[in-house]
Amino acid sequence: MKDQMTPLERIAAYNKGDSVDRLPCVPIVGNTAARVTGVKVSELRGDGAAIARAHVAAYRLFGYDNIRIFTDLYTLAEAMGARARQPEDETAYLEAPAISDEGGISSLSPADPRRDGHLPEFLKAMDMAMDAVGKEVPVTGALTGPFTNASFLIGAEKLSRLVLKNPEAVHALCELSLQSALAYAEAIIGTGAAPSLTDPMSSGTVISRRQFETFSFPYLKRLIDYIHGRGKSVTLHICGKTDKIWDLMADAGADCLSIDNEASLEDAKLAVGGRVRLMGNVRPSEVMLLGGAEEVREATLACIRAAGDSPKGLIVASGCSLPTETPFANIHKMLDTAREAGGGRVA
Amino acid sequence: MPNEKELYGLLSDAVVGMDEDGAASLSRRAVDEGVDAYEAIDQGLADGMERAGALFEEEEYFIPELLMCSDAMYAGLDVLRPHIKADVGADRRKVVIGVVEGDTHDIGKNLVKIMLESSGFDIVDLGRDVPPARFVEEAISQKADVIGLSTLMTTTMAGMRRVIELLEEAGARDRVKVMVGGGPVSKSFADKIGADGYSKNAAEAVRLARELTGTAGPEARAAAF
Repeated sequence: MKDQMTPLERIAAYNKGDSVDRLPCVPIVGNTAARVTGVKVSELRGDGAAIARAHVAAYRLFGYDNIRIFTDLYTLAEAMGARARQPEDETAYLEAPAISDEGGISSLSPADPRRDGHLPEFLKAMDMAMDAVGKEVPVTGALTGPFTNASFLIGAEKLSRLVLKNPEAVHALCELSLQSALAYAEAIIGTGAAPSLTDPMSSGTVISRRQFETFSFPYLKRLIDYIHGRGKSVTLHICGKTDKIWDLMADAGADCLSIDNEASLEDAKLAVGGRVRLMGNVRPSEVMLLGGAEEVREATLACIRAAGDSPKGLIVASGCSLPTETPFANIHKMLDTAREAGGGRVA
Repeated sequence: MPNEKELYGLLSDAVVGMDEDGAASLSRRAVDEGVDAYEAIDQGLADGMERAGALFEEEEYFIPELLMCSDAMYAGLDVLRPHIKADVGADRRKVVIGVVEGDTHDIGKNLVKIMLESSGFDIVDLGRDVPPARFVEEAISQKADVIGLSTLMTTTMAGMRRVIELLEEAGARDRVKVMVGGGPVSKSFADKIGADGYSKNAAEAVRLARELTGTAGPEARAAAF
């Protein structure tokens, strides 16, 4: 089955309430893109042209509705002094935070996205992807939320303890992270792309609603306000359980909530579906990585059944970034299932 | 000694109340008053950690609170542990634990370690970013009963399956139970890769480890610490 519309045409029509050939569909492809161009994961990080080639090729292969320029969550913290390690052919991870205790906070300064770390290469990737396919598909740049970025600056456990022991230090780290995020958002928007927010440490699996209100919400809101001011809409992904903070995620201004597979899409629809678009939430590992075609189809249809009728719309998606080795066949199957279901709601 | 029970209660409360200094000074008081150190740990500190784990499961406590409780528990343990009589601790069940390769998020693993340790398990902590082969080598050489695998990243979950394959190849699959956990992991994922069990949080991990090692119930932790 072939698509009848480009992703941009589809999203525009969907936003207006016009009919679409199928629901928007975004299997969240991260470093699987490296498999499409046959390069090692380590060949992407730090090479904007290679990132763009991989993500444009992956988009062309699968035909999903959003290109997200992303290799890992640590790029912003890295530009502020944290150390990321890039294994040869796996996703990079945080090797060491930027500082070891609160005393180091005064040594930190916001990142300059045109100079620091690998950020210039990511911006180049967005530029190139926009040039190549920006007229047909939305291009976004992954941007790590301030509270999560703060955890990469000092270490997640240290930050967790500071939440109770020294709230002012947490605010200082979030503010520095926000300043970096604002600068990066500005640069991302400058390429024509839009920032896409990910904030896993703000999960209800990690912190309480009250802690979210205190340490995540104010910074997310300021970041989203800025992005809105530049005319872009915002998707916010928070991993794990988020049911207790959906209203706050919407209050922070997110236009679309990307719901992890740990949370219920149907509950999200009932709670905030009238305020925000939803996105999700096929299990990335057991279904997309390990499942067979029929499992992918069932899980995709289950998402559409759960929230295909959500008032502000649904983007059929995976619940989180796909594991690198996700079989292409399963990604194709998710798209094919969305095509099969068509634009309406499956009964 | 009439005060013992009260002291255990205070130790437990200090842990639940995230009172590091309090837990340390109460532990010193226990030593000064000649209270059995093992009992003070088991009925005081470990009891507090169990209550903290329950509050975590009820979503009253979150990771910040649980870490602060564990700080209080370890502050007390540091004082009491040197005073435990030598003959206890001979037959502890051993768990090799770590975060699978490609992931350095170790909060979840550390919480499981804390809860298992406070429940009387002997923990070999391999840290984070651990290659699959290392889990198997350590489990065999340390004669561990259980391997506990954690990850927070969907991108690294294939490593969990690899550990089980390597255990099979080494002919040690029947001797070592494998339990898995972490954000993106689920019961059906655990079943699919052939793990022996899945726990959705650190408190549940204790129940699972007891079940897998046949050491259910607090009486089985008589050899703890």
